[in-house]
Amino acid sequence: MATLTSKPKLQALPYRPPAVLRNLTNWVFMVPALFFFLGYMVYPILRVLFISFTNYKYLSTEPAQWVGLQNYVDALQDPVMYAGLWRATQFTLMFLPGTIIIPLLLAVLVDRVQHRGLATFYRIIILIPAVIPGPMIFVLWKWLYNFQIGPINYILVEVLHLFTPQTAPQWLGGTPLTLPAVAIFEVWWGLGYHTMFFLAGLAAIPKELYEAARIDGANEWKLLLHVTIPRLRPVLAVLVVLRFGSAMAVIDEFLIFGGFNRASPTYTWTVYMYDLAFKIGEWLQGYAAAIGWIGAMAMMVVVAGLLYVFRPQD
Amino acid sequence: MTVSHAHLRRRRQIATLAKHLVINFFVLIILLPLAWVFLLSIKSIPDAYTGALWPEQFDFTHYAYVLEKIETLPRNLWNSVYVTLATVFITSLCAVLGGYALVHLELPGRRLVLFGLIASLYFPVRVVSLISIFEIQRTLGLINTTSGLILPYVTLNLAISILIMRSIFEQIPRELIDAARIDGCGPWRTLVSVTLPLITNGLVVVLIVNFVTAWGEYLLAATLTNDQIVRTLPVVLASAHGGMGQWAWPRIAAVYVIVIAPGILVFALAQKFFFQGLLEGALKA
Repeated sequence: MATLTSKPKLQALPYRPPAVLRNLTNWVFMVPALFFFLGYMVYPILRVLFISFTNYKYLSTEPAQWVGLQNYVDALQDPVMYAGLWRATQFTLMFLPGTIIIPLLLAVLVDRVQHRGLATFYRIIILIPAVIPGPMIFVLWKWLYNFQIGPINYILVEVLHLFTPQTAPQWLGGTPLTLPAVAIFEVWWGLGYHTMFFLAGLAAIPKELYEAARIDGANEWKLLLHVTIPRLRPVLAVLVVLRFGSAMAVIDEFLIFGGFNRASPTYTWTVYMYDLAFKIGEWLQGYAAAIGWIGAMAMMVVVAGLLYVFRPQD
Repeated sequence: MTVSHAHLRRRRQIATLAKHLVINFFVLIILLPLAWVFLLSIKSIPDAYTGALWPEQFDFTHYAYVLEKIETLPRNLWNSVYVTLATVFITSLCAVLGGYALVHLELPGRRLVLFGLIASLYFPVRVVSLISIFEIQRTLGLINTTSGLILPYVTLNLAISILIMRSIFEQIPRELIDAARIDGCGPWRTLVSVTLPLITNGLVVVLIVNFVTAWGEYLLAATLTNDQIVRTLPVVLASAHGGMGQWAWPRIAAVYVIVIAPGILVFALAQKFFFQGLLEGALKA
């Protein structure tokens, strides 16, 4: 009997590219975002850093020359820059407490509203300022503070009789009240969004914690201090750091409120940078770039400190 | 016992009343400024200068006046609509694609991208980059053009939008994505057919946030445009000095109402999705 020998059949497997190559093609999804992020955020910031080491004057026909740290040396001896940083700091100190504490208390109150329809109504109303663009808030409040037609002084003088026409507060025009005036409407503007932020944080706190604390005899204030606030620490951390950054870098509000009046409390380092870059002389953009970077670095130091203070404790 | 119960009930009633009084105080603080500007826009011109809160004589013609008589206003309105819609579309597209990739695709280097996005929230990007943005726009021939505003506008909320979408996509169970892959769906099909229907609420948040920011943007528009004809509404409004001629107070108030109404309308229409989007994950970004 003959023995049959069968040859094993070779089967070709379909080609599969290496995993690394396949994963790299996923970057296609990031291309649109990266185009804008790199082209209009990262590159401009680095470009401005480079410009800050030159004597670049936009309107000058002379080519820019590398001047090393000269712009920084000049800036660090510039009293206008220090005044600008100090003004921004003052504004931040006025603004930050109100923009954290008021929304927190409001959120705690709204969170306790039992009537569903009423709670929804409150949330909608509270969030209205958040859907009005910032510059429109600034314009509105500039009118509200207006000495001639503004309702704020009308109420203070004609309705409440707290002042006379002669002693009525001067909110605008570079007076000492200008920074508090801006801080007030900034808190008004952020009230809604920040309240929603805290409401989301409150929704994540287990109800059992409150029940247990109440059984132990805690009153409402103790609940707030020992349960609510510790549990909202992550939300507080994000809010404080982000709002510190936005407050120190305010520019639209100050341009609309105070323009380029150097004596005004609204002439901060950001307005000074803008003034140098686009208004003064031959548009001293090299020097303006240095001012911008010094302000940014000063902010980053404080941000790093805040992030350290609020680091997770677990 | 009876006295004790009655006493407790009364204290609770007082607490509830105080709670609603405080909340309503803030509701009033929020609504009064807006009510004032609306009332100003329907006052007669003499009324506007008395400072009185309520109009003595109503005049509803200011809205028609500003759209007919202020030469560039209809064009400025169109500029704002065009730039805003383009910005919202592009940013939302970038955010959806980016958020999806960061969560559900294997992405070498994703940690670096995340770090960059988060760092940009803390760095004063808008202020520091302005000098170079101006230079870029000039190089591209986009200074003093309306379309030119779209490119820098996209970056205004790009980072937060991607982080919001990332947070929303994280709510989608991994099992759903795996099941789609087993069924032979590639990444694009999975995105469109599986995840897109589930991210509606989060997308509404991104749309509204970007709409509001782009619609009212001032700094870039004021810096990058010069001629009134190419400008957006906020720049025109911010530079108008109330009290004179075509910019009489009731008329400027009418322009103001025209500027803020779209944002409030959009929010009113989408508020249910907006709140759900916030609570679902947008605020966890």
